[in-house]
Amino acid sequence: METVLSIEDLHKSYPSRWGRPPLVALRGLDLEVPRGSVVGLLGPNGAGKTTTLKAVMGLVRPDSGRIRLLGLEVSDPRARARVGFLPEQPYYELYMTPRKLLHYYGRLSGMSRESIAARTAHLLSLVGLEEAADLPVEKFSKGMLQRVGLAQALLNEPELLILDEPSTGLDPLGKIEVRNLLESFRRSGVTVLLSSHQLSEIEEICDRVAIISEGRNVASGALEELLRSRDEFLVSLASPPREGTEPRLPPAAAWTGDRGGVVVPRQSLEAVLRALLDAGLAVERVGPRRMSLEEFFLERVGREGGG
Amino acid sequence: MSKKFTDLLTVAWGVVQDAVHRKVFYAVLAFTVILIFLVPMLPSAEVGVQLDLAREASLGLVSIMAFILATVMGSTILSGEMRKRTIYNTLSRPVSRKGYFIGKYLGILAVLAVSLIVAYLVILALVGVKFGVFSPGLVKAVFAIFLEAAVLAAVAMLASVHLSPVVCILITGLFYVVCHVKGDFLYRTMTDSGHPAVLRGMAGLAYYLLPNLERLNINETVAHGERVFRVGAVEFLLLLGLAATFVVIFLVLGAFILERKDL
Repeated sequence: METVLSIEDLHKSYPSRWGRPPLVALRGLDLEVPRGSVVGLLGPNGAGKTTTLKAVMGLVRPDSGRIRLLGLEVSDPRARARVGFLPEQPYYELYMTPRKLLHYYGRLSGMSRESIAARTAHLLSLVGLEEAADLPVEKFSKGMLQRVGLAQALLNEPELLILDEPSTGLDPLGKIEVRNLLESFRRSGVTVLLSSHQLSEIEEICDRVAIISEGRNVASGALEELLRSRDEFLVSLASPPREGTEPRLPPAAAWTGDRGGVVVPRQSLEAVLRALLDAGLAVERVGPRRMSLEEFFLERVGREGGG
Repeated sequence: MSKKFTDLLTVAWGVVQDAVHRKVFYAVLAFTVILIFLVPMLPSAEVGVQLDLAREASLGLVSIMAFILATVMGSTILSGEMRKRTIYNTLSRPVSRKGYFIGKYLGILAVLAVSLIVAYLVILALVGVKFGVFSPGLVKAVFAIFLEAAVLAAVAMLASVHLSPVVCILITGLFYVVCHVKGDFLYRTMTDSGHPAVLRGMAGLAYYLLPNLERLNINETVAHGERVFRVGAVEFLLLLGLAATFVVIFLVLGAFILERKDL
């Protein structure tokens, strides 16, 4: 699969004042974003997510390492011409209106006045800001500002859309709106790299994730593959056992909440299956247990954080 | 029109729009215009020199206005964009930092030019109505004021790449003062063997490195009708060369530093 963004061994530290040691943000980060995928960048605060995105957009200069954006060096403006970027909590000059902002950014993207006008009409309708197109943004809520941000990021019909915490500061309704927009981008085949704290958002929208902890990529790949546990299995029963007729299971095995299945470690699988069958229970399916993203995240970040 | 040139114009136009929405811009301009209208009320020694004094005082006020506008805009526009992070939206476009920096500067120049044209027209009107004299020659002094403001704006923008607006304003103010007294004070400090060697060295460095902004002050000469010294095309080319040299130096330095700055 073609890679639209590849990051190799990226290091970045910020100098501190008064003789303090520099603040290390990235320690050899590697990341790949395949074309057409929606990649979620996860990590605790200070993990290096924003620094990574800024380095990709050429806003910070890495100490070492390599970034290839759409096959070009980051410093090449032609690469940025094909990328849309939504910074964390975007801010605009308060007197500007969405239409004026899109015109300004469109001109800087090298678009003609005609194409800006056409694209502006389409995008403002897409993000639901047609009515507010000529109002100064000082009157806008955070959700509306975020939608302006999404519109400006999509202005140049990007091949890669980079979004830094698109749901930060939004109320539940705003989060749903942003999620719906992201869902529509995914359907239209735009490659998205999305940094977020919202695990549920990532799990719902992304097909790939990369977990960053202490400046390193500690886990990345297709979401389904990552969440499929290699050590635990889920044994699904055709129907739950009647009250008081449950067979004795090895201590490592546990019934699921609805008692319709058993979560079993690999080494106890045979014993559990035997016990269930001996008790006359019909086993419907046996497969690797799918972890929740939260479980996976805590496992990986906890493991890294704990050294 | 090339993309780079369009970028410069777009960024510059953004600065003009920004200035149009800033109350401080109108306040400075209005205050200057009001003071210019009050100039004829100054007590004058003799009736014969009232015209010259009015012209000189008005040009002095315009110099102060240009200093304030150049310093405030140069110190706040770039640092404001960095503080508010609006710079991310712009620099994530296919725009070079160099182009962005120079575009901002050109925008400041445009605002300065418009303000000075307004002030010039006000002075022309005042002198015309009050004294019945048409003084188009004042444009020379106004142009020299513009050149000085262009240098100051470049200094302020250079400083604003890394420093806060307040510090930039202080530095630009200090630069203005030092560059106006350098011809006299710095030379004397540099050559006076009674001063410590370090002080003499610093004065010498400043004397040779900094521009002599006093050369750009032709208010008095022009206000008095260039009776003693005529400012011709050659003098103007020299003044333009002086200002352009320092503007280029400060802009190249500023763009170089911005290019390497983490945002």
